[in-house]
Amino acid sequence: MVNSFFFVGLPYIALFSLVAGSLYRFKSERFSYSALSSQFLESKKLLWGSVPWHAGIMIVFVGHLIPFLLPGLWQSLTSQPAFVITVELLGVAAAFTALVGLVVLFVRRILSRHIQSVTTPVDLVVLALLIVQILIGIQTAAGHRWGSMWSVQTTTPYLWSVLTLQPDLNHVDSLPPTVKLHIAVAWIIIMLVPFSRLVHAFSLPIQYLWRAPQQVIWTNARRIRHIAPVIRKAEESRRLFLKGALGLGTAGGLLTVGVMDKLVRFFSGPNMTPEEQAALLQKRLERLEMTAEERDLELERMRNDYIFVANLKELSPNDGKYFIDYQMRPALAYRDTEGFPLLISAKCTHLGCTVASSVDASGRILCPCHISYFDLKTGMPQPGSPATKPLPLLGWALMDTQGNILVSQAPDGRREGEVPADKLDASMVYIAKRYEETV
Amino acid sequence: MIPRRFLPTAIAFALALPAYGYPEFQQFVKKNSGRGTNCAMCHLHPDGPEGLKPGQIGSLSTEEMNQLNQARAAFEPGQNVSNPILNAFGNSIIGKLGKTKFLQIRMHPEELPAALGDMSDLDHDGISDAQEYLAGTHPLDDSSGEPSRLLLINLRRYAFHLIMMVVATGAGLYGLNAILHWFDVLMSAARDKEEGNG
Amino acid sequence: MGSERMNAVGAFLRDRLPLSHFSYEEMVGKKLVPVHRMSWGYYFGGLVLFFFLVQLGTGVMLLFYYQPTVSDAHASVEYITKHVGGGALIRNLHAWASSCMIFCLFVHLLTTFAMKAFEKPREVTWVSGVILLMVTFGFGFTGYLLPWHQIAVNATKVGLQSIEEAGQYMPGALADFPRYVKELIQGEAAVGQATLSRFYALHVVILPLLTFATLGLHVLMVQLHGMSQGVDHPTGKTERFFPFFLLKDFSLWGLVFLAVITLALCLPFESLFAYPLFEPFDPLGSTPEGIKPEWYFFFLYYPLELLPFWVVMLAMNGGIVLLLAVPWVFRRTSRRTLSMIAAAAALYLVVMTLFGDAIHTFFKGVPG
Repeated sequence: MVNSFFFVGLPYIALFSLVAGSLYRFKSERFSYSALSSQFLESKKLLWGSVPWHAGIMIVFVGHLIPFLLPGLWQSLTSQPAFVITVELLGVAAAFTALVGLVVLFVRRILSRHIQSVTTPVDLVVLALLIVQILIGIQTAAGHRWGSMWSVQTTTPYLWSVLTLQPDLNHVDSLPPTVKLHIAVAWIIIMLVPFSRLVHAFSLPIQYLWRAPQQVIWTNARRIRHIAPVIRKAEESRRLFLKGALGLGTAGGLLTVGVMDKLVRFFSGPNMTPEEQAALLQKRLERLEMTAEERDLELERMRNDYIFVANLKELSPNDGKYFIDYQMRPALAYRDTEGFPLLISAKCTHLGCTVASSVDASGRILCPCHISYFDLKTGMPQPGSPATKPLPLLGWALMDTQGNILVSQAPDGRREGEVPADKLDASMVYIAKRYEETV
Repeated sequence: MIPRRFLPTAIAFALALPAYGYPEFQQFVKKNSGRGTNCAMCHLHPDGPEGLKPGQIGSLSTEEMNQLNQARAAFEPGQNVSNPILNAFGNSIIGKLGKTKFLQIRMHPEELPAALGDMSDLDHDGISDAQEYLAGTHPLDDSSGEPSRLLLINLRRYAFHLIMMVVATGAGLYGLNAILHWFDVLMSAARDKEEGNG
Repeated sequence: MGSERMNAVGAFLRDRLPLSHFSYEEMVGKKLVPVHRMSWGYYFGGLVLFFFLVQLGTGVMLLFYYQPTVSDAHASVEYITKHVGGGALIRNLHAWASSCMIFCLFVHLLTTFAMKAFEKPREVTWVSGVILLMVTFGFGFTGYLLPWHQIAVNATKVGLQSIEEAGQYMPGALADFPRYVKELIQGEAAVGQATLSRFYALHVVILPLLTFATLGLHVLMVQLHGMSQGVDHPTGKTERFFPFFLLKDFSLWGLVFLAVITLALCLPFESLFAYPLFEPFDPLGSTPEGIKPEWYFFFLYYPLELLPFWVVMLAMNGGIVLLLAVPWVFRRTSRRTLSMIAAAAALYLVVMTLFGDAIHTFFKGVPG
């Protein structure tokens, strides 16, 4: 019942009052069709009240009008989150601007003795209603967020239903009380338009924006001659200042929105699914483990004169075993035809790829990156390969299980010590620091 | 092109061989694009399949070795391949073409883009995997791509942001210009006043 | 006698530090900017300042996520670009703005030289500018290492190696000195965690502080002395610094920012290079091809690759000394001659930066 009064009855009363009242007033008192300017009574506060109020309310009004007139276009625009944020922030900023202006105007009406003499009760009621309406509007924007998105499905069809004389309450029934109040107050304000100075909105005074400046002054003929150029300059300067402020304000507003959008998203951190988080964490853990492993190997190579490579019997002549040498490069271990170890660097001398471990039929190993073949026995690259320098052969030492060195070989092939053939298979292969340091 | 009747032998040969980095592709890409590339275009580790490091064969567990062998036997196209030493692009090539076709194409690396088609864009940067292969950029990294193409694609992608920035800059310049003239008027007024006084 | 000398010193200082001008009226209100055919040169100093501010802002933002350890640095940079909202834009902006800053710095250096802006009593302005130039190169060199990818670490290695190479030209006991300096900079025998920590400290604390101090002096000097006349025969036309020049400056900043942020949004800086260069640095792995310093070091890098080391070292040190001594060396040179010298230097920079690779290929047969 209450709903039908406020959203069906009231709208039609308001619209009737608006149309009939305006027409009547236009016919009977045409010259009252104005804002009843009080500029010449008090102009300082008027500037700081009127300008922000009109600038703000025009932006807000356009923001309410477009979703109503072009809901399709608006909907496609608001599918962009950045657009929604921009529009909402711009709207709220404009609302606050208008509010500040209104409050200044209100205070001016109350405090200035001159103005009070031309103020009617309706003026004060309208001013108060507008202030309340803007406050409700700001509360709606803050409390029921992204009205620019939901209005297309709710208030737009409602308004169209009212205007097409098929009022449909379904669209507004479920709206929050704040929004309903906002709509109801809007109808009341519309109802009051013909009876107040708001009627000047119908004269669409847009030309104010670009017409040559005029000013009403208390004057006499002598004064005009003197003061006219000064005033023209003052007016021009005011217009330029307003234009500048408008331009810079728009730029600043947009910039603030853009920067805030980026900053908030940047500092609120990433929005990741648990799987993504897990994958990321695993990746970081792997990197940490790699670093730890490297450090571990480095420490081992710093502390020990000999590093274990493999048990000799595990090594084969045609498939090498990878290990890391004293200079932290990958290397391969084989067993040569005599049964002794054969250790060779596996870091390709071309661009440092890792050389593959299998030996082909002609006794070569291959770097798969750019196809360089190296002779396993000498380390020499095959002519025509991208690599031109040989893979260095590494020195080694064979130890028995007690840790005694049985035999060792320097990188240049000099061998020291002897080993009985029966002990060979049980021995272990080491690399030795002393050989590395001579490389 | 390997004649068809030799294929089984070729496949057996390929399986018996150690894992290859298939450098034919890399050499072609380098020649075609002039950009440096490495094994990381298709493999997990930039130094190729051999070695002990993560993503190389020496680091694989038994389970992963089974996966590897399974993937190596994916001869027919259309299988869901998850080779533990290949990255998503490498796996998508084998999955799409099948190993048989892949080994054929290996001798003609310039045919790979046509075989892959332009449908797949694994890094969603707007440039298809096949195009990225030709240009020598990384198919799995959205900040890697031919600069001119990336620029055009992103200009379109961020059109809304760019328009807003142009509007903001335009409004700012307009405002600054008006303020500039405002100062001009203020100063001439001050000058007039001084002259008037003097 | 003594008092005469004191007076001379006093006059010298009074000319260089005209603190009597230290007032709003003198420094801003009444300041005039000469208008002539080289007037565009006056804007480049402001542009460098603008890009420095961009670097400051984006740099502080990157600090929130960056981790300066060898295991985490690359991962954290990747985290910023791939996961943090707007992180790619911020990082890309940092990269593009750094290049723009150095470009504008080159132009600023050459134009102020050609306009003889170092002329007495502006020596302090010039010298502080040269120091800022060095500091900015320091920013570039230290910042390049921080992402800890292949090109970062390997290019840093190459750069630091050139210090050590100076040792072969030093006599006897001094021969080891450059290697000592190099290890002092990198903190250990090879480029590693210690280097990263040092470069990080330099890049985010020490160099910015140094810049604030020097930049403060530089800008104060510019405002105290006013704009230099710029041409040999002044046109007599001027415009007010405040508000006209300043507002034009701001307009230019707006346009330039639009251009740079469009680039940063749409063209990843890394897409200009081959991707293997941006893999995490792996001390056990292979080195990708194409390791090079940033483009703004090409003018030094290609000669270093082509000419004997001592020639380049001598030229570089001579160049730095000459740059610092410019106000005294070119005291009596006309602006016409200075312009020609500046044009020659610009030509050298452009040719080395754009065609260095081709020149290298021409002489050595392989790309640099």
